[in-house]
Amino acid sequence: MRTKFAVVIAGLVLLASARTIVAHHSFSAEFDANKPFKLTGTVTKVEWMNPHTFFYIDVKDEKTGKVTNWAMEMGSPNGLMRAGWTRNTMKAGDVVEVEGSLAKDGSPTGNARSVMMNGKRLFAASSQGNTQ
Amino acid sequence: MTTSLRTALLSATAVVVFSSSAWVLGAQQAGGEGAAAAQGQGGGRGRGRQSGPVTPTPRLPDGTVNFGRVPGEKGVWAVPYITNMAMRVVGKDGQVLPEIQQAQTAARAGGGGARGGGGGGGRGGSKSEPWIPWMPWSAAVYDYNSKNESKYDPEGYCLPPGGPRMMATPYQMEIIQQPEHKRIIMIFEGATHIWREIYMDGRKFPGDDELNPTYLGYSVGRWENPDTLLVENKGFNENSWLDYFGHPHTDKMEVVERWTRPNKQTLHYEATVTDPGAYSRPFTMAWDIPWRDGGELPEYICQENNRYLNRLEDDLGQPIFGPRPQPGQKRPAGTR
Repeated sequence: MRTKFAVVIAGLVLLASARTIVAHHSFSAEFDANKPFKLTGTVTKVEWMNPHTFFYIDVKDEKTGKVTNWAMEMGSPNGLMRAGWTRNTMKAGDVVEVEGSLAKDGSPTGNARSVMMNGKRLFAASSQGNTQ
Repeated sequence: MTTSLRTALLSATAVVVFSSSAWVLGAQQAGGEGAAAAQGQGGGRGRGRQSGPVTPTPRLPDGTVNFGRVPGEKGVWAVPYITNMAMRVVGKDGQVLPEIQQAQTAARAGGGGARGGGGGGGRGGSKSEPWIPWMPWSAAVYDYNSKNESKYDPEGYCLPPGGPRMMATPYQMEIIQQPEHKRIIMIFEGATHIWREIYMDGRKFPGDDELNPTYLGYSVGRWENPDTLLVENKGFNENSWLDYFGHPHTDKMEVVERWTRPNKQTLHYEATVTDPGAYSRPFTMAWDIPWRDGGELPEYICQENNRYLNRLEDDLGQPIFGPRPQPGQKRPAGTR
């Protein structure tokens, strides 16, 4: 629990220091900041598009073996590029660990805050950024 | 679309007005995100993220302020994300109103919802912003937008922010002065990749009938003094909000902007909103916008793949865009 909390705090610090925050639609109308998640899965598709880049991962339930395809929302390509991404950073087949907030409607949809890939954490330029 | 939205708004507003008093009490206890989010902003001056020395205001050969690049250098204005303009209302002295500072202190003491992001945290609705000269309907609409956490934000539909919100939507912009053409062009990376033209040729505003209501309005500018560009704006349509939090406005809105560049690294923006259709008296908001040395504007086309539209449902659970399912049917696959 304490570790989880530390991770969340680290994430918030990361967010606060990020230079560009890209806002588009209402984060809180769709996602619940109080429902954080951390999921590991295999990338099935990347949509490097405006206003939000989406990627999809297959996540396997360890108990039942059931595989669910999750949609993950990030910031715009411009925002991601300013955070160090390129359109080739993530490809289908990559195994990634994603942290973010769950959709309010209970669907397998998340707003990604950061993505851990090949031991490197990348900020997802998501709309859950800091505001003034 | 506007019609159906308006109908949805009106019907839902009635419900909200009914239930708002109890909710506002609860929300006030939670503290306003705007209050907390505006923490540490220190008066009307926003946070500049520049490192390095502050250098003098660049000027054009005629002595007026250069709001753009110095020849041979690159750079853009890094517009901040201001979600609630009510927290940026200033008095005659240009400083944030004392009651806003008190509200911010109270929110901090209460640990009130500082969760950032396109929203989140507690939102107190109109009653938490008594310094805004509400009319009953604008307060009710704002309460509705607060309660549903800006679900129907037009900007979420990739429509232009419009008005002062252009300078509160966190994408970069540039100001290009063309004194030889008696105009100033403002270009915006995001918030739908649009431009503004400020007429500097001393023209008068067209008559009401000739003014086609638009998102950005009709802009006529002049130099109030060599340091201050004054731009008057009329002819707005009603399809935009003043900010992400959802302060409404009408097509009666007029905005007077004052642009200054106190140093090379800072653009100071001030906007006075006069909207007798929505607010009982004018109010002025102000903030700073930092210069990003070396920046250039990349392309950003919001409409490309806006899945939010397909996911958006009205208060009765019906899709706002796209085909409506027939009774007994589920929504078509792929719209969620």
